[in-house]
Amino acid sequence: MALKLTVEGIDAGYGAVRALDGVSIAVGEGETVALLGTNGNGKSTLMKCIMGIVRPSRGAITLQLDDQTLDLCRLPTEEIVRAGVAMVPEGRRLFPKLTVEENLFLGAFRPEARRELAQGLDFCYQAFPVLKERRRQPAGSMSGGQQQMVAIARALMSRPRLLLVDEPSVGLSPLLVTQTIAKIKELKDSQGLTVLMAEQNLHQAIRIADRGYIIVHGKIVFHGESRAAIEANELVRSYYLGV
Amino acid sequence: MIQAGTDTGGDALSFELLLDAIVLGMLVGCFYAAVSIGLSISFGLLDVPQVAHPAMLLLGSYGTYLLGRWGLDPLLAGVILMPIFFLFGMALYRGFHEIFEKRGEATGIGSLAFFFGVALIIEVGLIMVFGVDQRAVEAPYIGSSITVGDIPLPIRMVVAFVVALLFTGGLILYLAKTFTGRAIRAVAQDEGALKLMGVDPVKIKQWAFGIATATTALAGALLIVITPVDPNYYRLYIGRTFCVVVLAGPGSMGGTLIAGLILGISESIVLTMFGASWAQAVSFGLLLVVLGLRPQGLFGR
Repeated sequence: MALKLTVEGIDAGYGAVRALDGVSIAVGEGETVALLGTNGNGKSTLMKCIMGIVRPSRGAITLQLDDQTLDLCRLPTEEIVRAGVAMVPEGRRLFPKLTVEENLFLGAFRPEARRELAQGLDFCYQAFPVLKERRRQPAGSMSGGQQQMVAIARALMSRPRLLLVDEPSVGLSPLLVTQTIAKIKELKDSQGLTVLMAEQNLHQAIRIADRGYIIVHGKIVFHGESRAAIEANELVRSYYLGV
Repeated sequence: MIQAGTDTGGDALSFELLLDAIVLGMLVGCFYAAVSIGLSISFGLLDVPQVAHPAMLLLGSYGTYLLGRWGLDPLLAGVILMPIFFLFGMALYRGFHEIFEKRGEATGIGSLAFFFGVALIIEVGLIMVFGVDQRAVEAPYIGSSITVGDIPLPIRMVVAFVVALLFTGGLILYLAKTFTGRAIRAVAQDEGALKLMGVDPVKIKQWAFGIATATTALAGALLIVITPVDPNYYRLYIGRTFCVVVLAGPGSMGGTLIAGLILGISESIVLTMFGASWAQAVSFGLLLVVLGLRPQGLFGR
């Protein structure tokens, strides 16, 4: 397999608070893997560990890319991005005073992406036509759903191999959540991406996920090898489905 | 004084004087934009309280003076000084980063004192090396005038205007259209998000601060082309540069050019109507009015 993300037994926390406790997950090329759990259970911390924003105190995170193996616990965030990993962060984190198009251009900062700038921009405008209409508008003046589109498009501009999406549904109306999740699936298929998505909205996330992990209090409590397995799980049923 | 001619004429003449003042104000205003654009980057875009900017400007003037003694054209001297200033600016930022930013104290009183210290060291250093007398440079375009329409314009002002306009315009384009320029404009908005774009924010800030400092080399050369300087002359430019940056709205590069023009024209009109001593109050007056009425500046978002 040409791309494989492996997280092995990591602990991480903020000061005395332990957010992750011996977490192990794996994501293989072309998969869409969902990281499920309600707020405050460590989903975002795990994403941040993979991006080098939070450093685990124990364990290892490696990314195998073709014939090179990267130790993500040692690389700074910007080099992880340059290697081909992009993240749509929680809360979108746009540059509010820059225009939509300038936000997208910044997404293409890494050299590999600059070479394909025009194609990348075309692709994003095709995927999200409204962004083309509003490309000269300050990103901060857009609605929440449109800002989420900018955030996703900006991540795609870096031409990633592995895309991390942190809580795409937060702050969006149910209809927009459905559209956003469907869009992620569509983009993933057309770009040949590998996707790891953290999401508290289980119903939405498992519509597009091949597999899923459920994280509770910083521990992976269940690994569902298929959509059906996730839906059938006792824990999921009691946590989410209320049955 | 400039009003020497007013006692001979009526309304027509004062209209001509006003027109003179506006045209000259536009020339000066463009120059003000050029001396302020570096501060617009360091203070406006990077949030670094670079109060030593005007002193750096004066350092550029004295550097130009020094190279001028070897027969170098002042503007050429300014350009030659730019890479040296660039490196100095990068080193200065690195020091600031290690001492303050890393500890999360970038906007505290300590960092303000740091840059005030730099300004004082520059001022004292200039006094020790050059003494307190005024220094000037020579060039073919200093001292003569041309007449455009009926308005006599000192050629040195026209030269400063053209260079300032090209220089400021070039920087605005650089910040708007290049990858590095966009990253410079983004860095203060969200450093963490910039890392997610594959950019090291500290390197970007260091590079940008180098550019901001390099601008003072050429702007300082323009300053000494326009007027002789002495070691505490930079104090006049504390008010002017901060006025332009705040009037523009921190972070607005195009606004810096407009704000420079507004200050230049206002000063020039006040100078014509009330005399030179009042003109110096214009920048602080404008600064207070802007801070009171529209603290985000004319073009701030």
